[in-house]
Amino acid sequence: MERLKRRRLRGVACDANYQLNVEDALACAGHDTVIFVDAARGLRRPFTFTEVRAAGSMPAMSHALGPEAILAIAAGLYGKTPDARLLAIRGYRWTLGEGLSAKAEANLALALDFLEGFLKEARP
Amino acid sequence: MGRKITIEPVTRVEGHGKVTIRLDDAGKVTQSRFHVVEFRGFERFVQGRPYWEAPVLVQRLCGICPVSHHLAAAKAMDVIVGAGPGKLTATAEKMRRLMHYGQMLQSHALHFFYLSSPDFLLGMDADPAVRNIIGVAALNKDLAVQGVLLRKFGQEIILATAGKKIHGTGAVPGGINKNLSPEERDRFLKGAAPLNIDQMIEWSRAAVELFKDYHRKNKDMVDGFAEFPSNHLSLVRKDGALDFYHGVLRAVDAEGRKVLDDVDYQNYLEVIGEETRSWSYMKFPYLRSLGKTDGWYRVGPLARLNTCDYIPSPLAQKEFEVYKAYTDGKPNNMSLHTHWARLIELLHSAEVIKELLLDKDLQGAKLVKKGKKVAEGVGLIEAPRGTLFHHYRINDDDQITMANLIVSTTNNNEPMNRAVHWVAMNALSEKPEITEGMLNRVEVAIRAYDPCLSCATHAVGRMPLEVTLVDARGNVLQRKVR
Repeated sequence: MERLKRRRLRGVACDANYQLNVEDALACAGHDTVIFVDAARGLRRPFTFTEVRAAGSMPAMSHALGPEAILAIAAGLYGKTPDARLLAIRGYRWTLGEGLSAKAEANLALALDFLEGFLKEARP
Repeated sequence: MGRKITIEPVTRVEGHGKVTIRLDDAGKVTQSRFHVVEFRGFERFVQGRPYWEAPVLVQRLCGICPVSHHLAAAKAMDVIVGAGPGKLTATAEKMRRLMHYGQMLQSHALHFFYLSSPDFLLGMDADPAVRNIIGVAALNKDLAVQGVLLRKFGQEIILATAGKKIHGTGAVPGGINKNLSPEERDRFLKGAAPLNIDQMIEWSRAAVELFKDYHRKNKDMVDGFAEFPSNHLSLVRKDGALDFYHGVLRAVDAEGRKVLDDVDYQNYLEVIGEETRSWSYMKFPYLRSLGKTDGWYRVGPLARLNTCDYIPSPLAQKEFEVYKAYTDGKPNNMSLHTHWARLIELLHSAEVIKELLLDKDLQGAKLVKKGKKVAEGVGLIEAPRGTLFHHYRINDDDQITMANLIVSTTNNNEPMNRAVHWVAMNALSEKPEITEGMLNRVEVAIRAYDPCLSCATHAVGRMPLEVTLVDARGNVLQRKVR
């Protein structure tokens, strides 16, 4: 997120959270386009970029919420349904205190370049 | 044929747990257990790390109450750097208090409005597809929005005091690394509606009234659901007042007799023991003076309002008096009254936040104190879910050599098992059919304790949700994926 902020993209606000939660729906409702970004297991490509839609029904889960649930809350509480995408970046090591591996660094750089291009095109 | 019911994971709680209920051929409950199936290795992870890293590292135990771990570890490290209880600067202690009460506000709001209110407002037997915050919004949009904004306000307090909403670095051994600027203070005191502290107090009052109204209309169910006698443990201020940040250990039994009082928590090992059982990763703590069988206790909002003598803020004190009068001043052993107690604490937290915001010490410049270093320290705090113990030893190279954490949910292990057993016996046993609503009642009992079973890491696409019905031979009879 810090690296994305350093790119100083016009009209883009960044927020980093340990896990998504209900108040993130309020932030989503206030934006036209929302990009959820997280590390991901099980990918074969450096990153994937997919459309996210509000969940048809809320998962009966714990405190942590997925992007689909956040969008459903934004729609349910605020009547807003922003264009939303999920940028999932392939990770390799998950141990506490581990920094990014070289391969994850490379994936992150590719993903950020792609995201910058997408956001510039998406700008009204 | 005997049957086993498994609820895994238990939903609308933090982390991953599972319930198994064994039924005999006649459908009678023969055994019920609440298991924690995640293994938490933080005591081992932190060994070898420099002591000053502990407040930052250990908060990764949790994404909901990281501030509790941050502050409990910082309090233990205060002792290690010779700046233990009573030695911090006024600015440092009050900044930490503001951080902590901000956390209580956000966590209690999240728990009641988002996790528990669907059971009350929509009903325990409501369609699980609508038994959630969106279902609540469909019924009462203002209430759902208030819950979100109370949580957001608490998170903003944490951001201003800890540097980040999650996993901040504000508390350091011997103090704090920032004060509160006048601009930050004014934003919380006089911010544009609705995000100012007066509005938070008003919504907190309304939340207490909401529960009292629900209780009036559903008295028998609320009072009787998972009611059982227990001991209760918490920190209280030296004078017996409710205090979430610091105090002495006090425990009372089910009749209100003091089992522990005025105990310095540096000596917690003399009064608290921990038992292990083969079927759960979570230990079972107990009061040594009462032994393993009788010494188990509750912690959290219900316990805190049973151990304290009064609440040091006017609106919450008024509600406390109503609450205590309901049980004629005796300890309250009704599991669902935990929600009532939690909402009184929500109101108290909002009041304390305002009191702190008006305190000029928050703009002070003296942030850190150090004294003579020692090799061992214990930090205790009343986390939203209850008493949290952090205990560390370090070596001459400043590396942590031992860590022992007793988290709130571990303290509530036996009570949660008792609550599950109560529901199993009263809602499931000898019933011809096990419905989703019945299984939800098991979760309602656990949810009252707001357990935080761990949430150390996350990545896209993880977190299965499954309910399985298995016969005595291990054959899966039914499986639900939610």
